[in-house]
Amino acid sequence: MSPALEIKNLTHCYQPGTPMEVAAIKDANITIEKGEIVGIIGHTGSGKSTLISHFNGLLKPTKGTVLVDGTDIWSSKEALRNSRFKVGLCFQYPEYQLFEDTVFKDIAFGPKNMKLPSDEIKRRVLEASKLAGVKPEMLEKSPFDLSGGEKRRVAIAGIMAMEPEVLVFDEPSAGLDPKGRRDLNNLIKAYHKKTGSTVIIVSHSMEDIAKLVDRIIVVNKAAIAMDGTVSEVFSRSEELKSMGLNVPEITEVFARLKAMGYDVPLDVYTVEYGADRLRELLGKGVGK
Amino acid sequence: MSEKLIELKNVSFFYEADEEDAPPIPALRDINLDIHKGEFVAVLGHNGCGKSTLAKLCNAIYEPTEGTVIVDGIISDSEENGDKIRRKVGMVFQNPDNQIVATIVEDDVAFGPENLGVEPSEIRRRVDEALKSVNMYDFREREPHKLSGGQKQRVAIAGVIAMQTDCIILDEPTAMLDPMGRIEVMNAIQKLNKELGITIVLVTHFMDEAVKADRVVVMDKGEIIADDTPRKVFSQIDFMRNHSLDVPQSTELCNLLNLGSDVLTIDECVSKLASVLGGAK
Repeated sequence: MSPALEIKNLTHCYQPGTPMEVAAIKDANITIEKGEIVGIIGHTGSGKSTLISHFNGLLKPTKGTVLVDGTDIWSSKEALRNSRFKVGLCFQYPEYQLFEDTVFKDIAFGPKNMKLPSDEIKRRVLEASKLAGVKPEMLEKSPFDLSGGEKRRVAIAGIMAMEPEVLVFDEPSAGLDPKGRRDLNNLIKAYHKKTGSTVIIVSHSMEDIAKLVDRIIVVNKAAIAMDGTVSEVFSRSEELKSMGLNVPEITEVFARLKAMGYDVPLDVYTVEYGADRLRELLGKGVGK
Repeated sequence: MSEKLIELKNVSFFYEADEEDAPPIPALRDINLDIHKGEFVAVLGHNGCGKSTLAKLCNAIYEPTEGTVIVDGIISDSEENGDKIRRKVGMVFQNPDNQIVATIVEDDVAFGPENLGVEPSEIRRRVDEALKSVNMYDFREREPHKLSGGQKQRVAIAGVIAMQTDCIILDEPTAMLDPMGRIEVMNAIQKLNKELGITIVLVTHFMDEAVKADRVVVMDKGEIIADDTPRKVFSQIDFMRNHSLDVPQSTELCNLLNLGSDVLTIDECVSKLASVLGGAK
């Protein structure tokens, strides 16, 4: 089985051949298997947006190849077109891109472009609405009458309705309140579990990344700086900080205890897990 | 208690509905709030709770539908007073890219005082001071669009400071920033408050930022539902969750372990845990 996505020796230069030429991504190699849920982190300007814009051919590599489901997306016009349907990109603040007069039409826009029959479009709109938490009674409303959080779910449903094999979220919870953030995280997790599709999440929130993904790719200075499990990456907190990143607050608490000489685990990324480990330690009667 | 800088007395605010004949939409209901000179106040609340409306009333972008907003003795009931108020209270918004007007950092910071008709030599002095206060002086000749998000937000803050405002209102200034950008902006805000005595009103969705304030105001459905120190507000974990908010991870961890709910920061959490772990090294 071919991987969902393969990036081979990818380099992208802006303004190539001019004195202003600058490589936004240099010689990147990434393989993402089908069904994985992966996080991408990196400071502003690190190159991660340039990177993800290659996943469905929005940008053409200056050098290197992009394979979606084993096919080089730049090998033919058709392959490029297919990559747009196979890899869904959900940009930051996607609610700004709503434009139709009903929620239903907005969610149907993608499947319509895929030239699907109308009953299939309808099935997909309903299915995607369910996955994205868009209530049935909203479908005939104008998207502009919805709240910010609802609009964002409509925009996400529009991408889910294309039933992409890979769904990339760029800062999905930026600007949301804590509950909105929790709800959206749960939605992404449920979507991944239910559809079994590949999910990639770009985020500045180390806490969200820790809760959502199995593997983290770190982009720094236009290159892939780390690529490993959540524990491998978050155990390198000093390096992450030097790259303008961080570790979750709870991870920092355990790192400090460890530094003070306490025998606590370092692979703690969520509060619940940390509380469980500490209860074990205290339960052994080693506490005061 | 020091002097009041911003006073909201029985303030309500309604937005006009888009459709004709539809009733106006209430955003704020009977708000009473005093912000004192030199305070650092964080405003929390879920999306749509009215906190951005509150922020815009404080610097007279909006006038209240009912009630009175008074800033340093000036009532926000006319265009003229609005201008006076905006010289005292500056605002920084979420998206750094929407706030930069010039092609060189120092020109951007000079934009405000130039519009106020300040003397060129005085502008030079203010721009230099303002950039130094947010640690962006070394970037004064750079092009703003090439800066990181955190750097751009600090330039926007410097632009407000160069107008010598008494108060800065920041509406989710770090929502679009990476972790380091958030830290840089928070450090700049704290420094301005502690060292220059500038009053800060910070609207945010990040609980770890609100922890750094002197006082936390929590809003829901257009009303103020809590107004106290961060320690008191964040110790009410269920209350915060019920209002779509959260508490810092350090607070949550200690609470789960029945170690109390008054822990706010990483430092406090670590020493609390060390005390119960005792000699278990």
